[in-house]
Amino acid sequence: MKTQAVKTELSPAALAPSIGRRKSVFRQAGALTGCVGLFVIFSILTSNFYQPANLIDVMLQSSINAIIAVGMTLVIMTRGIDLSVGSVVGLSSMVASDMLSHGLLVGIIAGLVVGLLCGAINGILIAKLKLPDFIVTLGTLSVFRGAALIYTNGQPIYGLPPAFRDAFAGRILAIPTPVLLAIIIAVAAFLFIRFTALGEQVIAIGGNEEAARLSGISIDRGKILVYTISGVLSSIAGFVLIARIGAAEPIGGSGFELQAIGAAVIGGASLFGGIGNPLGSLIGALTLGGLQNGLTLMNVPSFWQYVASGAVVILAVYADQLTRKRR
Amino acid sequence: MQSIPAVSESSTGASVMLRMEGISKAFLAARVLKNVDLTLQKGEVHALLGENGAGKSTLMKIMFGVVQPDAGVIDLDSVGPIRVDGPRHALALGIGMVSQELSLVPQLDVAQNIFLGQTPAMGIVPRRRYRDEAAIILQTLAPHLQVDAPVQTLGMADRQLVEISRTLARGGRVIAFDEPTSSLTPAEQEALFAVIRRLQHDGKAIVYISHRMQEIRAIADRVTILRDGAVVASGPIGDFTDDALNELIAGRELSRALSRHHVPKENAAAPLLELRNLSTQRIRNIDLTVRPGEIMGLAGLMGSGRTAIMRSIFGIDKKTSGQILIDSEPVDIHGPADAIAAGIALIPEDRRGHAIVPMMTVEQNFGLASPRKFSRLGVLRGATRRGAIDHFVGELGIRPTTTASLMSSLSGGNQQKVVIARWLATGARVLLFDEPTRGIDVGAKAEIYTQLKRLAESGAAILVISSELPELLLLSDRIAIVSGGRLTRTVENTEDLSEDMLIAYTEVDGTA
Repeated sequence: MKTQAVKTELSPAALAPSIGRRKSVFRQAGALTGCVGLFVIFSILTSNFYQPANLIDVMLQSSINAIIAVGMTLVIMTRGIDLSVGSVVGLSSMVASDMLSHGLLVGIIAGLVVGLLCGAINGILIAKLKLPDFIVTLGTLSVFRGAALIYTNGQPIYGLPPAFRDAFAGRILAIPTPVLLAIIIAVAAFLFIRFTALGEQVIAIGGNEEAARLSGISIDRGKILVYTISGVLSSIAGFVLIARIGAAEPIGGSGFELQAIGAAVIGGASLFGGIGNPLGSLIGALTLGGLQNGLTLMNVPSFWQYVASGAVVILAVYADQLTRKRR
Repeated sequence: MQSIPAVSESSTGASVMLRMEGISKAFLAARVLKNVDLTLQKGEVHALLGENGAGKSTLMKIMFGVVQPDAGVIDLDSVGPIRVDGPRHALALGIGMVSQELSLVPQLDVAQNIFLGQTPAMGIVPRRRYRDEAAIILQTLAPHLQVDAPVQTLGMADRQLVEISRTLARGGRVIAFDEPTSSLTPAEQEALFAVIRRLQHDGKAIVYISHRMQEIRAIADRVTILRDGAVVASGPIGDFTDDALNELIAGRELSRALSRHHVPKENAAAPLLELRNLSTQRIRNIDLTVRPGEIMGLAGLMGSGRTAIMRSIFGIDKKTSGQILIDSEPVDIHGPADAIAAGIALIPEDRRGHAIVPMMTVEQNFGLASPRKFSRLGVLRGATRRGAIDHFVGELGIRPTTTASLMSSLSGGNQQKVVIARWLATGARVLLFDEPTRGIDVGAKAEIYTQLKRLAESGAAILVISSELPELLLLSDRIAIVSGGRLTRTVENTEDLSEDMLIAYTEVDGTA
């Protein structure tokens, strides 16, 4: 009996661990290879893409998207989606720039609170009322945008204090602060996912919600948490946006959702849930940012750049689906 | 519709309808089917027997085109090897399947379901014609069915008839039934058998999969027995005694290991788990006690409320009245988290859907239900958790022993052991097992039985649901019969208690 048990139990296991491991490494390696490949191609096709000044520019341009994409990655890992991020950018940056007149800290805290509330509203509607994430965040995309327009009756706010602009669009040792901010946020999110019990629960919720529920994990708490993080990170991205421009517009951040979803998926997050890496979303954002920058250097009209980045996002989702099917 | 060639005569004189020869299939490194032959003759009911995981369902999936074999040929009507591209193609060839999960659209009516997938992609659906044709098919098979009745208003037995009719509407000649009686009442079962005999009379070839020996005796002409993916015997049913069949199904050594050697023991301890008048939407007034060291089996048909009892104890289904007591203290359970805190564990029936997170590692899966134990201030304590899982790897014989591999890479039996380990790590003393050995291979099954008995000996109170009565008789100290959401009786598992008696109880209590 003993020999038979061992025989039947051993066979499927022998190959297995290496397969699982290799697959998850593939996801990251593939994203990195694609990103480097793209950079090499643009370096060959243009005379100035590879210049350090331009590369830093690419990172700077990608940083806003990278910050939002980290939150998006966490949401996608729970098998959710957050379409409202661009509107949260707009609303929180309007409130922040208005409140900045009462002091630097007041403005920043006000903006963060708006982001937090927006995210929490999404999370509560999705988790407690069991509404579909897609519809909830599509609805709040419109609600939050409307609120941003109502706030100043559609008028932009000019003249942000220099201290604020230095903090969110300055440089430390020649490195732009938004780039540092994006890296710090991505690393923090990575540590959260990899080394905390709550982070593991987030993965479990996306990997198999019912199994997570039956293991005593609070699904509501996990979902509300990731949408709230997504909201807060969107407001930080909003700070960078207005600090760079020097003004806040109610329509700021329009269309950011597609870029963020794209960066998350290119970076290895699976729309089927349970898989993702916040560090990968940095690579994803760099890929999309590099694509835009390179196409601009090649004098491709900006209208065509919309077409290109949308196509790349669809391609990334398709690749995700292929690996999913093979499993 | 293609023309049907003349049926050739085989050497035995009976005409062969479908021949599968040398079928092999492997998933990753697991060889699920090894060189399997299956011949179906015109007008026969051919029983396919084997343990869960023996390869029956994979063989049926290959016949139905859902899975493609790695090697081997399928030959319909002796016209040479064919390739079955998928369920649509299988239906067009005249191969149909009536499985446990029916593929009907509940919102559509009977006629629409019968002709589902045959309607033209464009243009107007000739609804009247379909209704007329459906009525003709139903006339002989199930005259009581209305063609315009929505399928959602029908019972399980009638739905099966619709599914059979659909197969016939496409010229079905080979029809496979996968445990068709598991949720039927005895009367419905008889009616289904009458239909199957009628199909047989009309010259169809029937494959019949079931675990119930009595049914197989009643309906089958020939049997083929699979074990570990290979055919171990095939022939007329009359050539085999029940004991011989059981031995062929389980394997000689294992059948001894899995044989019933129950020792009734005195158990006067105070109940560890007690249900008083427990009711939910699906169960009514359940009274039940399980003592420490006791294994209580729950017998009943699918949908009788067995699983609902466990769900209510674990706080998944909201209770409408009654009490749950642990150690004679009432506990308030509003969800799985409360149940876990009270020392209760649930190992659900649907392992893939409800228990495992496939893309997380074995270690992560193991730790899911004890986040406090394996973290400090929210930060995971990897070494502590590794130490704990390593202990269970040895204890339960989990393979592979490297716990950093993904859960999806383990065999079903090993996944189940990891799930059990997850709950043992919580320190649970009340363990609810819902079909603990469904779909896992025989070796792992024996190990899980041993583990269950060991847990009971260490003082746990265990509740087990199983549709396989031999399993209940093997494991339980007492067996409770569940029928129509009620607990109708509890019997001591003595030497005299037999499978037939349990079936009789279930039937009597079901009609009462």
